[in-house]
Amino acid sequence: MERLSLLGTIAWRNLWRHPRRTVLTALGLGLGLALLLISIGLGDGGHAQMIENGVRLGSGHVVVQARGYQESRAQDLLLPQYIAATVQETLADGRGAGQPTHVSPRLLASGLLSSAAHAAGVTVIGVAPQAERAVSLIPGKIIEGTYLSDAGHPGIVIGEELARKLAVRIGSRVVLMTQALRQPQTGTPGNIHSALFRVSGIFRTGLRDVDAYVVHLPLPQVQELLGVPAYITQVAVFLSHDSATLPVARRLRQVLASEDIEVLTWPEALRELAQFVWLDDAFNYVMLAVILAMVGLGLLNTMLMAVLERRYELGVCAALGLQPGQLAAIVLYESLALTVLGVGIGLLLGLGGHWYFATTGLDLRWFTEIDLSTAGTVFDPILYSRLSLSRLLWSVAVVFLMAVVLAVYPALQAAHTRLPDALRVL
Amino acid sequence: MEQQVVLRQVYKTYQAERISIPALRGIDFVVAAGEFLALAGPSGSGKTTLLNIVGGLDQADAGEVWVAGQNLRALSRGQRARLRLRHCGFVFQAYNLIPVLTAFENAEFTLLLQGVPARQRREKVERLFAEIGLSGLEDRRPAELSGGQQQRVAVARAMATDPALVLADEPTANLDSATAAALLDVMEQLNRTHGTTFIFSTHDPQVMERARRVVRLRDGQVVGEEIQR
Repeated sequence: MERLSLLGTIAWRNLWRHPRRTVLTALGLGLGLALLLISIGLGDGGHAQMIENGVRLGSGHVVVQARGYQESRAQDLLLPQYIAATVQETLADGRGAGQPTHVSPRLLASGLLSSAAHAAGVTVIGVAPQAERAVSLIPGKIIEGTYLSDAGHPGIVIGEELARKLAVRIGSRVVLMTQALRQPQTGTPGNIHSALFRVSGIFRTGLRDVDAYVVHLPLPQVQELLGVPAYITQVAVFLSHDSATLPVARRLRQVLASEDIEVLTWPEALRELAQFVWLDDAFNYVMLAVILAMVGLGLLNTMLMAVLERRYELGVCAALGLQPGQLAAIVLYESLALTVLGVGIGLLLGLGGHWYFATTGLDLRWFTEIDLSTAGTVFDPILYSRLSLSRLLWSVAVVFLMAVVLAVYPALQAAHTRLPDALRVL
Repeated sequence: MEQQVVLRQVYKTYQAERISIPALRGIDFVVAAGEFLALAGPSGSGKTTLLNIVGGLDQADAGEVWVAGQNLRALSRGQRARLRLRHCGFVFQAYNLIPVLTAFENAEFTLLLQGVPARQRREKVERLFAEIGLSGLEDRRPAELSGGQQQRVAVARAMATDPALVLADEPTANLDSATAAALLDVMEQLNRTHGTTFIFSTHDPQVMERARRVVRLRDGQVVGEEIQR
């Protein structure tokens, strides 16, 4: 133990023989780690925001729907409405979810919405207004009027782009025309139905496909219009954290195994978004690997210089009886001590940067005015950093691992100190 | 008398580019335990090479080298390092203290490597420092010591483990004559009181006078031997 302590003392003091070089190398390492932490924090934060917006604009973290609906999008693939209650009860027992969840039944159909001036094809979503308010992005994006309510006169909520296209505003009358769905029990094709609604709310999500085509109506009205009073298209499940997605989906698959139903997680339902996140992560990892490689080369250079300029001294240590492994240990200790310094600086800078971006956020409008929508979701213009403990520990471990791996070559050089050459005796 | 070092027909040739430089050419001699022996000769005569081979820092191309009853040619690199640690002390021309350690830490370095407990180390080094006039300088780093003081610390380090053999390569070469004489006093005193065998190389006639036996080398061969006292 004391021998290790001696080698550690030698290593630590050696570092301070060239304080400027040590500080600069540690600073380089620290900046690399700080960049890693800030980049991971902003990346994860951005992805979390995108996923959150994506699932709230789409079909939730987990969606329960008739088998085959995801592929075919056939309107007549329906679920009995009691499935929503089954899902609600399953999640209420806490198993598999472990955190608050919201369940929203929806009935989807396509139709034609006409105003006095124009007409446009739309996607009609029949929702339970109260449940939808808790989960969907749209109620929070109302820019005129109000969102639907369970009580009162049924209105229709449409997107800003659609309102512009139809030249309507709050209170304007619109006619929705749809074909009644094939009855699940009888298989009889439905007739064309139409109904008159007043525009009660206009929303703006920033996603053109939503703002131009999606309309929200109370679920009973849509069921009546489509002639399927006890049926829905899907049950959207919203979780307070993405990490519960898989356990919840597994639990629902178990409970609903006997039904002709598919239970999909958001990466399965929103493949484009999942692929975007995956690709963005992969690109970030490549960039971070390049940064770490550059920082690592600096560390390697410092350690090699430290070994080469102390060749004589290492020779003396070897002459006095230090074993090759002990010579290598001195270099490894030096590298580790330098890394501890660098990691300290990196944590200070990185967590400071993370804290700033987690509280104040990074306003992307400083850099760009472009449309912040992609992959079926929207970016919030202000990006908030989100750094989990596991990502923090992972980053520190990567830097340490890199330092240890890079110290191996200089350590081997030290271990191979050849006597009497190192003493320059001839 | 016990034989500390035995050399039989020792040869060593260095290769520089394509040129062979014979450093030792058939060295034969025996050093008994407790001797105070000088290897004398001009530069290039093979003194340092011989000390390196005896200390296991280098290996002979041919011949036998026995130190403390062990045939060095049969030992691995690690075994030679252990032999150095347990049986040999080194004093180099350029002091060769570890610059980041204090005088005390340098002196106890080999004791620590041997796993000697802290209390014994402290007693041992304090006693040696008092014996060779280094008391009060324990906490100074090498850069804060004079050449003579550094070389005394090197002697203390060499003596700390009570080695049977101390090899000193031109220990007084960088010292003025008064300091050199003082250092030789110390070495001689340690040789007498501890019974340690000293082999040192020199080309300084004043230093040779202090040795009880002088082995003269020239062009890698023993060309003469003198018993002085």
